[in-house]
Amino acid sequence: MRMLLVLLYRVCRFAWQGFWRNFWLSMVTITIMALAALTVNTLIGLNVVIDSATQCLEKKIDMSVYFDPEVDEPKVIEVKNYLEKLAQVGSVKYVSAAQALQDFRLRHAKDTSILESIEEMAGNPLGATLVVNAHRPDDYPTIVQIIKNSPYRDLVAEENYKDHRQTISEISNVAGRVNRTGVALSVVFILIATLIVFNTIRVAIYTHREEIGIMKLVGASNTFITAPFVIESVFYALCTILLTIVVTFPMLNAVQPYLQNFFTCSPLNLVKYFTDNFTVIVGTQLGGVIALNIIGSSIAIRRYLKV
Amino acid sequence: MITFRNVSKIFYPERTIALANVTFEVQPGEFVSVVGKSGTGKTTIVKILIAETRASEGRVIVGGWDITRIRRSEIPYLRRQIGVVFQDYKLLQKKTVFENVAFALQVSGAGPSRIRRIVPEVLKIVGLSDKHDRFPVHLSGGEQQRVAIARALAHGPKILVADEPTGNLDALNSQEIVALLQKINQIGTTVLFVSHDQTLVNQIHRRVIVLEEGALTSDQPVGRYRLS
Repeated sequence: MRMLLVLLYRVCRFAWQGFWRNFWLSMVTITIMALAALTVNTLIGLNVVIDSATQCLEKKIDMSVYFDPEVDEPKVIEVKNYLEKLAQVGSVKYVSAAQALQDFRLRHAKDTSILESIEEMAGNPLGATLVVNAHRPDDYPTIVQIIKNSPYRDLVAEENYKDHRQTISEISNVAGRVNRTGVALSVVFILIATLIVFNTIRVAIYTHREEIGIMKLVGASNTFITAPFVIESVFYALCTILLTIVVTFPMLNAVQPYLQNFFTCSPLNLVKYFTDNFTVIVGTQLGGVIALNIIGSSIAIRRYLKV
Repeated sequence: MITFRNVSKIFYPERTIALANVTFEVQPGEFVSVVGKSGTGKTTIVKILIAETRASEGRVIVGGWDITRIRRSEIPYLRRQIGVVFQDYKLLQKKTVFENVAFALQVSGAGPSRIRRIVPEVLKIVGLSDKHDRFPVHLSGGEQQRVAIARALAHGPKILVADEPTGNLDALNSQEIVALLQKINQIGTTVLFVSHDQTLVNQIHRRVIVLEEGALTSDQPVGRYRLS
């Protein structure tokens, strides 16, 4: 056990020496890997923004069912109860005829001609309204169909909903394209980072080739020879993730106020998202970078172990 | 201690025969010179002994251990039992004399206290106690070879293989190195001295194995090396 600890200490010391003696090469490697990790983080952030935008639009969709002015309130409440029982319906809001008229007046407060026309009419020309919110945007056509086939169809003057599906679909398409570009960009960066790590370790191994040969001749095991290089690559991974964190959070803090102003319908907090998912995001990236580095260094050193 | 039984080594794809059906035995405590011109297979014997290369045919046994088909993972353990010295010293230039010797112990997991005890001991044997903090570049060729011998002795090997250890040295330094190898032999270590230096080999008056074109042509208990 003590021997193992001594070996572990020596392996770590050799790794640290290797890392420190090739300082600038290590810095370049870390910077390139951090760029790759930042691209991945940007992609994650972009996905969160797109999700938020889609949710925002989905929340804005509702359907209004207008009743004839002569339909009385109990009948409208009956229709409300009927709609509320439908699986596709999330909520139904009742707007009385008087409220509808008041809302109309408020909406057209600056348009005197419309207001005058309303005044000239005897009584309230507007009927009650039910504002329906479905669970999913796709449910609205189904709800319309159900109303049309229901016994209440003759009471309804009109039903309509602001169809944002086209906008949502366009956003989804743009999001898909952005995602695909982001993934491609990430893959390119990760590939470049892997090649650079591979090359850095090859250079480190090349400069140590004499030492490796001597280590082999005096009886060092392959594990003892390989381990410092593998641990050195783990140092790269740790520094990369540290640098990525140091850059990511100030960036998010800088962008956050703009996002807050833009997404008024649903609060979007990217900093909170990254903080809440810190372990998963950083853990996955650290795991990935370490795995890539270990594989790269193990391959790079293989040819020098054949002494 | 060392047994070579009908050992041949053929290098492919040129099918160069480095060793052809070589058979000899070395007893514990012997001092054996392996001689021959360049390219006669002397270094191939060393390489087979430290498992740097494998015999194409025959069997090689070291200290009762059949290393003919040694597993890769067992090679480090074999090398810790055989001290090896090369013509080009193979010292780490950025390490001091002490660190170079300690390095052999470090890689095998020896503890710091053992290193502090053994390194001065072996440096004393090779006469470099007072130069433990020098770097190889500040030492003469003979001194560098002494460091290499000290490093080879660090594990306390039963066999010391010296492959042309005087090849880069002048006559005086060569004499000193041979004297040192003899001294090491006297304290019980089996020494295999590989050389093409006729004068040096002939003044040792110990067993001489002669190789010619990969074949063993002479093996005399108190032999001489005659140029053919």
